Amino acid sequence: MNSFNRHVLSAAVSAVLLGLGGLAHAENTIKIAVAGPITGPVAQYGDMQMMGAQMAVEQLNAKGGVNGKQLEAVLMDDVCEPKQAVAVANQIVNDKIKYVVGHLCSGSTQPASKLYEDEGILMITPAATNPNITHQGYKMVFRTIGTDDQQGPTAGDYIANQIKPKNVAVIHDKQQYGQGIAEEVKKTIEAKGFKVALFEGVSKGQTDFSALCTKMKSANVDFVYYGGYHPELGLILRQCREQGFDAGFMGPEGVGNKDISAIAGPASEGLLVTLPADFSADPANASLVKAFKDKNQDPSGPFVMPAYSAVQIIVDAIKGAKTEDPVKLADYIRKHSFDTPIGKVAFKENGDLKEFQFVVFKWHADATKTPVK
Amino acid sequence: MLEFFQQVINGLTLGSIYALIAIGYTMVYGIIGMINFAHGEIYMISAYIGLITVTALTVQFGVENVPLILLFTLAASILATSAYGWAIERIAYRPLRSSPRLIPLISAIGMSIFLQNYVQIGQGARDLSMQPLISGGWRFGSDAGFQIYLSYMQVLIAVVTVIFMTALTLFIARSRLGRACRACSQDLTMTNLLGIDTNRVISLTFVLGAALAAVAGVLISLHIGKINPFIGFDAGIKAFTAAVLGGIGSIPGAMLGGIILGLSESFASAYLRTEYKDVVAFSLLVLVLLFRPTGLLGKPEIEKV
Repeated sequence: MNSFNRHVLSAAVSAVLLGLGGLAHAENTIKIAVAGPITGPVAQYGDMQMMGAQMAVEQLNAKGGVNGKQLEAVLMDDVCEPKQAVAVANQIVNDKIKYVVGHLCSGSTQPASKLYEDEGILMITPAATNPNITHQGYKMVFRTIGTDDQQGPTAGDYIANQIKPKNVAVIHDKQQYGQGIAEEVKKTIEAKGFKVALFEGVSKGQTDFSALCTKMKSANVDFVYYGGYHPELGLILRQCREQGFDAGFMGPEGVGNKDISAIAGPASEGLLVTLPADFSADPANASLVKAFKDKNQDPSGPFVMPAYSAVQIIVDAIKGAKTEDPVKLADYIRKHSFDTPIGKVAFKENGDLKEFQFVVFKWHADATKTPVK
Repeated sequence: MLEFFQQVINGLTLGSIYALIAIGYTMVYGIIGMINFAHGEIYMISAYIGLITVTALTVQFGVENVPLILLFTLAASILATSAYGWAIERIAYRPLRSSPRLIPLISAIGMSIFLQNYVQIGQGARDLSMQPLISGGWRFGSDAGFQIYLSYMQVLIAVVTVIFMTALTLFIARSRLGRACRACSQDLTMTNLLGIDTNRVISLTFVLGAALAAVAGVLISLHIGKINPFIGFDAGIKAFTAAVLGGIGSIPGAMLGGIILGLSESFASAYLRTEYKDVVAFSLLVLVLLFRPTGLLGKPEIEKV
């Protein structure tokens, strides 16, 4: 045997050994990647998601894990940026993690979902609501949250039936999530015979909205729907109220976060927000809510319980299907229903929940919210 | 018609901030012919210092005298950011003084990335926000119709900007060091030969630029009330555009450029669509450069033999 062959052989042997080593390691724990924004302007939502998923992992481990193995949550930061989300997805593929709870923003979930589909990784997003994510014909993609074609009409119906405004402005942040929901709302209220006077996009990260406020004020707009996240809406509220523009405002769950009150202060009083029902108020979740409170965490955020449920569904599916193969699990999840903190859930063929309710809340300046009848 | 005046007010407020930052770009370019891409980050740091100082004074020490808070915050921010401006020049640019033009440019971009991450690690990558220190304002017009609103903060921004611009103009025009600055911008080598410490003048330029950016940063943290480590990039690009529009190297040009940029953004979102405000601002830049390649008030660069 010449030296070249010897090198090849030893390389092959070590590769096999390393491979076996990897397998042996993988057998001790089941890793679940939790991907979302840990840093950046919307990291507050990432907190909710991480908090929910980690609590689920902790509690399920305390109950003995799954098939004698412990679960491990691997937190990944995508900063809610599509580019970064793809990098995170690649890392998940390279780390051979088979299950993902995430991502959070629709704009970053969509590009990442393609990788998961191609690589046979099971993905359940607890937060991304843009309809397109489950309309790509993918088999590995699920969500434990509603979609904007449910949320948009909920908001639109409320505007048309309760507010009955004369002159509506629909503003969005030109992102997949914000513009998507804004278009749904516009469609719904126009179908009901209301006039949308302004439909315009602002930039993500923009800080000066005074020109927009003046424009809405001089167009006699009496109700504004904003599709996007809280950093921009907070400033719009603050600057418009200051100019004496007193129209009602409404936004999707992306604005329903205590930071909107930190930014807008008193101007956030009376803001209407469509959010998933407050699962932490459900008596069935009392012990879980207590577990969060014991750790000084707030379980009422919109994505906490959906993230918990996503982890639980993965684990229940592994137990029920008696396999860890993500492709078989996806099939199992589609055919069965699961008892979770967000209720008894079942999935449609495309991975959407069969049922999900959005509720209209009224936001208060002290960052609390009350459901609107 | 009334909303037109409101849009003018909106645009002037925005433009004043652009102008204050633009001066930093234009002064450095005027003297050493280099774009200080870390200048936006200086502004960001001063916004942080402003927000932290105001919060510390009001919440921690319970100071309620608004003019006192304002003066102290401005002073603290100007001092600290001037030190940053000086240090950046010392660390990132002075060792590269005699190297080709491209090298300090890359060093500047590196500095900018470093400062962003430095603040991100120190202060967290999330938004910080605070409630307005100065609220309220004047309303003009009838109660029934459109009311023009001029907030105290907008007036403050305009007044502070005018004060600092005038001070800078006087300093450049009248003082000994100002004369040295002008000499350096005409011919750095010759000025050096005549016995002026050009390194000191260059340091001074960075310090002055940083001080004006500090004023802009404090004003913006008071006016907008929401900051994060990435605001320097956007503001930097806009201010740089303002500097080029007005004629880079020219201080009155930077002021004019800032105001024009602010007004054009304001009018674009008012009379076209909000989406087009940046399109209009940058189209304006392209148009001006097509017909006046040196900007509105810039002088053509004389080939030095």
